[in-house]
Amino acid sequence: MSDKLKNYLSVGFFAFFGGMLRCYFNLIWSSNGTLLVNILGCFLLAGLTNFFIEFREGREWLATGLSTGFVGAFTTFSSFQLDTLKQLQTNASNSALIYFFTSIILGFLFAYVGMIVGKSLGKKLAGEA
Amino acid sequence: MMINTVITAGIGAIFGAVGRYFLTNYGKKHFGTKFPYATLFINLTGALLLGLVFGLRLSSFVYALIGTGVLGGYTTFSTMNVELLTLWNNKKYLSFCCYFLSSYLGGLILVFIGLGLGKAL
Repeated sequence: MSDKLKNYLSVGFFAFFGGMLRCYFNLIWSSNGTLLVNILGCFLLAGLTNFFIEFREGREWLATGLSTGFVGAFTTFSSFQLDTLKQLQTNASNSALIYFFTSIILGFLFAYVGMIVGKSLGKKLAGEA
Repeated sequence: MMINTVITAGIGAIFGAVGRYFLTNYGKKHFGTKFPYATLFINLTGALLLGLVFGLRLSSFVYALIGTGVLGGYTTFSTMNVELLTLWNNKKYLSFCCYFLSSYLGGLILVFIGLGLGKAL
């Protein structure tokens, strides 16, 4: 199988689980579930990306599937924007602004923390290998 | 049934994520890696389409498949933030601001337009 095909299949396979998990959190906690998966996903993606930069594992399809497939489908931009708009239109502008800015600020902060954690974990494991 | 909705969204997410992966590769190849054009395009079009799909008031099954599944899996919040972080770390502050504002404000405007369109149709 070509590497390209392998990557595409891996992205689709892992996205199935990322999408299901996001849907589950959205069903039980509504827009707060989306907030949670988005923040968690920022941490995970930054962590994974930096981990695989330091720790060259070799299987590109695995790194691509986990990051682009799983975490990419786990987080969502469109629902976040729609949820913000829905809250704005139901005259809940305070909660809309809190939701909007909490997502933005925590998303970036958690990506930053994920980068540090992923980098140091990758370095540690690469050093031991 | 919750489990059916979850599986339906998962199946939709496969197509959304594969489409995103294709467009990201295409963008890197044709527009370079200096600015994340592909993710910006994906998130903005996804926001417009989700507004549209929501405004159309489809059945909950179709919305789980197309809205939560395909469009939720197509757009991504995590990649955008990692790209923002990369621009910040590389001291590309102008690109950072452009990407930040065009994503967050552009997305909000487009989801609004999409919703209006969907309701009108």
